[in-house]
Amino acid sequence: MNIKILKLLLLSLLFFLIISCNSNQTSPNSRIIIGISADVQTFNSLFAFSYEESAIVDLLYPGLLDFKWNSEKGELDTYPMIAQSWQWSEDSSYIKFFLRDDIFWSDGTKLTSADVVFSYDIFSDPDVQSRLFGTFDYLYTDAEGHIDIEKTFKVISANEFEMHFPENSIADLVKISIPVIPEHIFSNIKRDQLASSEINFNPVSSGPFKLKKWDRNQTITLVPDSNSFLFTSGQVSELVFKVVPDYTSRILQLRKGDIDLVELVKVEDMNDIKAENKLSVINLVGREYDYIGWNNIDREAFSVGKIKPNKLFGSRNVRKALTMAIDREAILDEYLLKQGELAASPVSRIFKLAFNNEVKPYEYNPQAAKRLLAEDGWKDENKNGILEKGKEEFKFKMYYPVGNPLREYAAVIIKNNLNAVGIEVTAEKIELGTFIHNLNERKMDCWMAGWGIPIPLDLKPYWYSDPNAAVLNFPNYRNFEVDKILDQLETKISNERKNELVKVFQEIIHNDEPVTFLYWTPNVVAYNNRIKNLSITPYGVLFHCWEWTLDK
Amino acid sequence: MKIDIIKTLFTRFLSSVLTLFLLVSFLFIIIRLSPGDPTDNYISAKLGTELSEKIAEKFSLNQPITNQYFAFISNIIRGDMGVSYNYRLPVFEVIWQYFSFTLVFASISFILQITLSIWIALWVIKKRKRWLDNFLTNSSIFVYSIPAFALGVALIYIFSFNLNIFPISGLKSLDYDYLPFFSQFLDKLHHLVLPLITLSAGGVALFYKYIKESMDELNSQTFILNLRASGLEDNVILRKHILPNALRPLISVAGIELGILLGGALITEVIFSLPGMGRLTVDSIFSRDYPLVIGCVFTAGAVMILANFLADIAKLRLDKRLIKGILN
Repeated sequence: MNIKILKLLLLSLLFFLIISCNSNQTSPNSRIIIGISADVQTFNSLFAFSYEESAIVDLLYPGLLDFKWNSEKGELDTYPMIAQSWQWSEDSSYIKFFLRDDIFWSDGTKLTSADVVFSYDIFSDPDVQSRLFGTFDYLYTDAEGHIDIEKTFKVISANEFEMHFPENSIADLVKISIPVIPEHIFSNIKRDQLASSEINFNPVSSGPFKLKKWDRNQTITLVPDSNSFLFTSGQVSELVFKVVPDYTSRILQLRKGDIDLVELVKVEDMNDIKAENKLSVINLVGREYDYIGWNNIDREAFSVGKIKPNKLFGSRNVRKALTMAIDREAILDEYLLKQGELAASPVSRIFKLAFNNEVKPYEYNPQAAKRLLAEDGWKDENKNGILEKGKEEFKFKMYYPVGNPLREYAAVIIKNNLNAVGIEVTAEKIELGTFIHNLNERKMDCWMAGWGIPIPLDLKPYWYSDPNAAVLNFPNYRNFEVDKILDQLETKISNERKNELVKVFQEIIHNDEPVTFLYWTPNVVAYNNRIKNLSITPYGVLFHCWEWTLDK
Repeated sequence: MKIDIIKTLFTRFLSSVLTLFLLVSFLFIIIRLSPGDPTDNYISAKLGTELSEKIAEKFSLNQPITNQYFAFISNIIRGDMGVSYNYRLPVFEVIWQYFSFTLVFASISFILQITLSIWIALWVIKKRKRWLDNFLTNSSIFVYSIPAFALGVALIYIFSFNLNIFPISGLKSLDYDYLPFFSQFLDKLHHLVLPLITLSAGGVALFYKYIKESMDELNSQTFILNLRASGLEDNVILRKHILPNALRPLISVAGIELGILLGGALITEVIFSLPGMGRLTVDSIFSRDYPLVIGCVFTAGAVMILANFLADIAKLRLDKRLIKGILN
């Protein structure tokens, strides 16, 4: 009896399978799959805070202008996008934009100047708290940073408008070009309710792709928008972002062919990937570097509003000695398998015209480090193996966030190297959220972390003395000569002059060594060779991905 | 008797509510005292501190902790757990998106664990082969001690990467929408085979050991020998007398296991990219999404209480004499 039932069940299963195979529906014939580690929370350009969100959302909402990385110069070149041309006034007090006449939102409505003006208004609105809030200081704004639309914009026609700047404002085209969002959709939603609105998940877009489907924590599927001005007939039929949080799984899927492109591949996997004929790798170095942060000033004195040099790291000679005592080349060779590059300042080689070739990284030289420390009064008088200056022994804790194997490896080398010159270091790893909080609160004297370099180069938030202007100046570095340069970089000067100033800045920073610049870390991108027309540059991996095609 | 049952059920309900209330209150205080700040995520080179200050104001994070606590309690009484900072959606709306998967996934795994372990134990007892018994007992210890991440990665490497039998990750294939209904069902099943093995292997081994030991113990009891002497068939003795008695100690453990499974299976979810409660809870902790952390823990607490209550009811079905002890 049981066997009969089993047979019946198997027959039914077979029947259903046959029915299933007779479907007339077909799957897309050309699809590119990109592996990402985390899902997005929104498709609303206003709130696309994370790296993944902004990369995907920027494909849905293009900006006024397009930018391409010029590898000869190491800077961005500007090209038309929504604006087909633009014209500065003679005194640079305003800029006139001429929009393309053939741009439509995915619901068929035409994109006009009103959408652009509305986008500036809503991005700067304090009630909205967008990802660009507080960044419009180059336009007429009120005390809360909300753009004064009447003073700033003059709409001439559906395709023409002027953007006016206050006196002494320095506006560059990269800053100006924000994503354009549809007024006819967003104006129907109360601004304080935008963050939880349905539009976050059903975007009406104008980019080369539109959202087809979002399976939370699984896949995001974009399809070409045939109404888009960027649409070409050769475009791939689907661009899929596949959420795979586990790194090993992402790499296995890349090797198996389930995924076509992955970023942040570990250097130890490069050879395995290169060995497969169907895969290629590109190593982008120069957008991120690791460093050891030294608090240049005394924390306790700073908490009561006084500036006093830090008793351990206040002297530039000591900081230089610390750098010389660390064998950074060994970390680079052994862990990063020579795929990174030693860092000497916060400006990398990719910024070709601004990079100062004369500024060389300090060499590993423990003897020279000891000499510098001795010159500064740090000697091992009591012969206990630890340097002291008066009653102060040279020992400290170095904090670093958990979850980064490179830093865990480097911490051991750094600890041993510094112990060898008579400095006792306790390496302590802490949870990332706590680590970031302690950095923002300036609660640590020594830490190891990494910094990303924005394009175009923006040094002020990291190195300016005033903490209100430099929220990321965690080492509390203060040098008024550097301040002067950073202020000058924000004035109307030629690019050549800017590059000269950046070169001087690198010399000063190298001489002051406010932090120990360790190495430029690699961002290894691996992709399947069936993707053609890729243009992976330091500016972005998904750059112009609507122009990608597939090998037939 | 019925009134007594209703009274004791009501008391148990109240004590469960009190447990959950204490749980979320304790958690509220702990996470606010722990280092880190949700607004740290909104500080960057470009933004400065303006946005983080605005967001702190919006979510009342700049208020004294006592004010925040009383606002939180009054919201909870109204059934409002607040809005997730990251998702910007009501907490329960976010949780449901993940809990629905966890509910199905954990339930299938739980059923597999129970049925397989009982089936294997019965099979071994029927076979009466010492070497088989020894082999399975030792194997169960080995399987139970394999960490889920090691088992998951090994399964992927063998069955997905090398043999190409099962998909490496995800809940469904990219062509899912183009498949007819029954193929969609098979597609999901195909994707869940390896995750289910990873999640259930340890449980099967554990339950097998529990049930096998109970059965062995019962097998040598006098009442079983009497039944055998009275001429009852081995199959009948096994099913009607040994199994129900052997299941009793298993049920309490199973109740706890079900609660844990419903709270999320972080490692399996991460390895196989599944959208479950484990990932949601851990992500919310790392991003300091306070309302979501509390919502996830509240859900895990509630399902744990419910699972234990279900286990008690199951025990009652086996032995009605336990009613008072269970209800109290």
